[in-house]
Amino acid sequence: MSDPETGGCVSCGMPMRSDADHALGDRSKDFCAHCSNGDGTMMRYEEVLTRMAEFLQTAQGLDEQVAHDAAKDMLAKMPAWQQR
Amino acid sequence: MSAHSSGTREIGKQRTRRRILAKATRLCARNGFSRTRTLEVARAARVSHGSVFVHFRSRDELLSAVVSEMTREITDALHAQVASGASLTHTLAAHLECLAEREQSIRWLLLEIPLLPRGVHAPWLAFQSATSFHIGQAAERDMAAGSIEEMPLHLLFNTWIGLVNHYVINRELFAPNKSALRVHGPVLLEHFSNLISAPASMARRRKGTA
Ligand SMILES: [Zn+2]
Repeated sequence: MSDPETGGCVSCGMPMRSDADHALGDRSKDFCAHCSNGDGTMMRYEEVLTRMAEFLQTAQGLDEQVAHDAAKDMLAKMPAWQQR
Repeated sequence: MSAHSSGTREIGKQRTRRRILAKATRLCARNGFSRTRTLEVARAARVSHGSVFVHFRSRDELLSAVVSEMTREITDALHAQVASGASLTHTLAAHLECLAEREQSIRWLLLEIPLLPRGVHAPWLAFQSATSFHIGQAAERDMAAGSIEEMPLHLLFNTWIGLVNHYVINRELFAPNKSALRVHGPVLLEHFSNLISAPASMARRRKGTA
């Protein structure tokens, strides 16, 4: 299972192409391994946001605040964070 | 209503959405993102103006869907390369090919991104990061083998993309009425590979054969 529109993780949007991409390697999970706690529950919003911002910084060298704001914009579109 | 007719309706709805998206993509490639209007898209897709907003809540959302769709295709192609164990050079060659196929749209995005609605920035930045991530995966293998220099991922990516984007943005200077990346891509790739390649002595040392 996954985001019906994109086929990606409902929390961060990462495409989930193989079983290993899903939380606990379990295809029935609609969020990815990166958004999963060790016990297979979904990480809190703040953790996902921090990780996403760090990813943007590592990949593109973005300014910290810019990366944080961009990560916030990205998560705002994700099904998992619509109730926030 | 039978399950059959609601299923058929859903397929029809998806088909209309895809047609609107395809026409919007084509108009953005031709005229730029900032000049593409929902009314034009509706006309091109042969639907009412209101129908566009049944599928996309706003122009902002339509443009962001165009960017998401186009960039997802590129990311998928890069992922396939990296998953097959391709070297950095092969991954970059695939990247160039993906960009060349969509050079017009990419050029508009590079020129217009600061002027476009904020909603378009997120998929664009997500795409740039995904590209960097995949290039980085191929690079890590080559760094571990000692065939290229070790360097931070963002500098590797920004050096490559800076070079490529310069040719795309200024294509009229480098390849008038042609694809800048089809004309100059092979030379840019060779030049970049030379820049980042590690001396042979270092490759031997890392493999422990020196
Ligand atoms: Zn995720």
